[in-house]
Amino acid sequence: MTSIAKFSLALIGALILTVAGGCATVDAPADRTVVDFKGRAVSQRDGNVRVSTSVLSAEESRELYGFPLAENGIQPVWIEVENGDELAYWLLSLGLDPNFFPASEVADLYARDGPGAAEIEQRFRQLAWRNPVPPGATVSGVVLTNLDEGVKLVQLDLVADGRMKTFALFNFIPGFRADFASKETRLADLYPADAIIDYATDDKLRTALEQLPCCVTNKSGSRDGDPLNLVIIGSVQDAFPALVRRGWRPTEQTWFGSVTKMMSSALFGERYRYAPVSPLYLYGRPQDLAMQKARDNIHQRNHLRLWRAPMLYRGKQVWVGQISRDIGSRLTIHSPYLTTHKIDPDVDEARSALTEDMAYSQNLSAIGLVGGVGAAPKSAPRGNLTTDPYYTDGLRVVLIFDVRPTSLADIDVLPWEGRQGGFVEQSVKRTAQ
Amino acid sequence: MKATINLAKGYMQRPRPGISAALLLAAALLASALTGCATWHAPDKFDDRQLRVRAESATVRDVKLSAAVLSAEESRRIFGADVNGAGIQPVWVEVENSTSHTLWLLRAGTDPDYFSPLEVAWSFHTPLAGERNAALDAHFDELALQNPIPPRTTRAGVIFATPHHQTRLLNVDLLGQRRLIPFTLFLPVPDEDEPEDGKVVQIMARHARSQGPDYRDLEALRAALQDAPCCAGSADNGPGGDPVNVVLVGEIADLAAALVRRGFRAQMSESDREQQLFGRAPDVVVRKVSQGGAPAFWLRVWLAPFRYHGQAVLLGQAARPVGGRFAATAPEARELHPDVDEARNLFIQDMMYSGGLASLGFVTGVGARQADQSAGVGYFTDGLRAVMFLVTRPLTLSDLQLLDWVPLLRDRTADAVKENRHAKP
Repeated sequence: MTSIAKFSLALIGALILTVAGGCATVDAPADRTVVDFKGRAVSQRDGNVRVSTSVLSAEESRELYGFPLAENGIQPVWIEVENGDELAYWLLSLGLDPNFFPASEVADLYARDGPGAAEIEQRFRQLAWRNPVPPGATVSGVVLTNLDEGVKLVQLDLVADGRMKTFALFNFIPGFRADFASKETRLADLYPADAIIDYATDDKLRTALEQLPCCVTNKSGSRDGDPLNLVIIGSVQDAFPALVRRGWRPTEQTWFGSVTKMMSSALFGERYRYAPVSPLYLYGRPQDLAMQKARDNIHQRNHLRLWRAPMLYRGKQVWVGQISRDIGSRLTIHSPYLTTHKIDPDVDEARSALTEDMAYSQNLSAIGLVGGVGAAPKSAPRGNLTTDPYYTDGLRVVLIFDVRPTSLADIDVLPWEGRQGGFVEQSVKRTAQ
Repeated sequence: MKATINLAKGYMQRPRPGISAALLLAAALLASALTGCATWHAPDKFDDRQLRVRAESATVRDVKLSAAVLSAEESRRIFGADVNGAGIQPVWVEVENSTSHTLWLLRAGTDPDYFSPLEVAWSFHTPLAGERNAALDAHFDELALQNPIPPRTTRAGVIFATPHHQTRLLNVDLLGQRRLIPFTLFLPVPDEDEPEDGKVVQIMARHARSQGPDYRDLEALRAALQDAPCCAGSADNGPGGDPVNVVLVGEIADLAAALVRRGFRAQMSESDREQQLFGRAPDVVVRKVSQGGAPAFWLRVWLAPFRYHGQAVLLGQAARPVGGRFAATAPEARELHPDVDEARNLFIQDMMYSGGLASLGFVTGVGARQADQSAGVGYFTDGLRAVMFLVTRPLTLSDLQLLDWVPLLRDRTADAVKENRHAKP
């Protein structure tokens, strides 16, 4: 038996043990003074409104609630809003996480009509975030979200009468590897200031984007992988909140524990949000940020990887990347991580799906398509690094985000590929063929 | 072909033929999931005449949309595979674009969890059948709706959606250069025994023949909403119904579109029929199913016996069941969670993100009830009902107008200012 097979057997054994482990016992809530998550809260101010957030670790949420929330995939986010405006604001929990847990739903999980059910329900209710934030007031509370590992992008939409404020804060969660923390520091000084070009006109930007490499590569740069079919223009204040609002999450860095969990997920079909995203290379480095949108379970999730490019567009950050649609997980011998994903060979479909998804995000202001990927017809598909075949019209989508919300009826379609009909011209030709 | 795969739940994957011991092991483990060996043959060309006869259609700004949900039998004839059996509801759509603009059908607005054609095709692949799999891919790809729809062109094709029951509220958003052309159609779902009530078309018909007053003044509407019944009665005219805590005002198609964009589906169960208002069961019930398929939230609505500027006024119960996603009970056993305000506030947020909510206000009329008074009635509430006005034109979050009616949480707000509500415990 190979070592891989032994590993699999050991893994299955371990899983059975986990499943057979039975219910966890719960200690009474500890003294809340030991809870120090507020000490590391991160803050942001916009005008007269200041927000602070902190994501609780598994240990902290057990202390605060008296229950192992993390074991049920629940992660409390503590939020404080200081409202110095003259209007009341509403915080939209659905913007933080479209699948967040109402406090009463989680209380039900632990109360279950046992003794002390009323106290448990009251505790969850007391800790829960409550709207609105009146003018001049400071309000804090907890929103219960789905568990993220390592880093969480906390996205806050505050709505008032005819007005809206959006905040996005990266929170690091104790108890996971701090890769992202070091990475963020590195991102800040990725390029010397004089190496970054700020493009002021659409045409110059378009030319620069067309001249990017066709594809990601392996580590040594000797082989081409997935096509670079995505350009996101925007930053932590507009592009990333848009992604989070529609259910996209940063992923944990790939590491062995995550691969183990992924294997179990692939074998048993349980829903595990954190499949590892194996590294692909551009600019001589692995992706700066990988995000995924989980669907029902690991078999169905869409992935995107982004690299910060040494360019700006009218002062906005430019991120270059790759998106593909998973149509099922499978085992492959081509990835050192053993488990990878079967991608939809029609990679343009994934690109369109993201574009459509972002149209509903409130922050997408313009869409364009540029060349640079190089067409690969259905009859002669190319292969990525794990030999998944793909075909494409050779275009990359450019999504421009803005802090000011844009309604569906006001999204600008840039007249780039094909002057006459705008970007869709190329696609029309493609479907006509 | 046997339906061995539940794609929507993603139970299984197909391993590649044995490459290493580990893969063989995995293959053996998964073999139990494979109960039949599939073969696929390209079906004959499909005659869509019957489909067109029963398709629903609408015309907006020089664009005609027609659509129908495919029955399992039609799916088998069209695709040569049991697509419906795999947990997918194929929807046939035809767009006649008579405008001078190129339009893009936003599938994410029709179904946030739609499947790509090759994703569906892949689930019917068989190992070691390269050519047949390729033919299957090509067939599915050809039948799928192709974006974009060029000016003065007609395009037809299938969207592979997640299943809706009884009636599919089909939302179709066509995006062009700085324009959006939205549609809402109500499609019967074949292969299901349709109940006599619960159809959206019935509520539209009821609205059309309604003889009640048509309020032109916002204050008059507010007064009428305050005086509306606090709660439903039970079927035997006794007390004990759930509170009426939301009101939706607008064209029925706009209300439906907002719900669909946020993943609600029409579905009425027996327990819903026990709630009676104006002497009848709810006109329509929609549910939002959470990830993992557990029942998470419902909205039951009744058409009110009055209008506002000719528009429909729907009185509703927004609530969610005890247990929610974590409940192990059968979906039919739905017990009201007593914290109905939480569910109401969550529903407001959903409408805010729908792009259709123009304004929001609160009125009294439910009757406040403290948590310790919930015994007997099964809920507690601040006594307010949320009134939401929806429009066709897509809006952003910053367009929302808040009506200066009853301030939400007036008492709690006063407390909060005094104490800076649990900001510094």
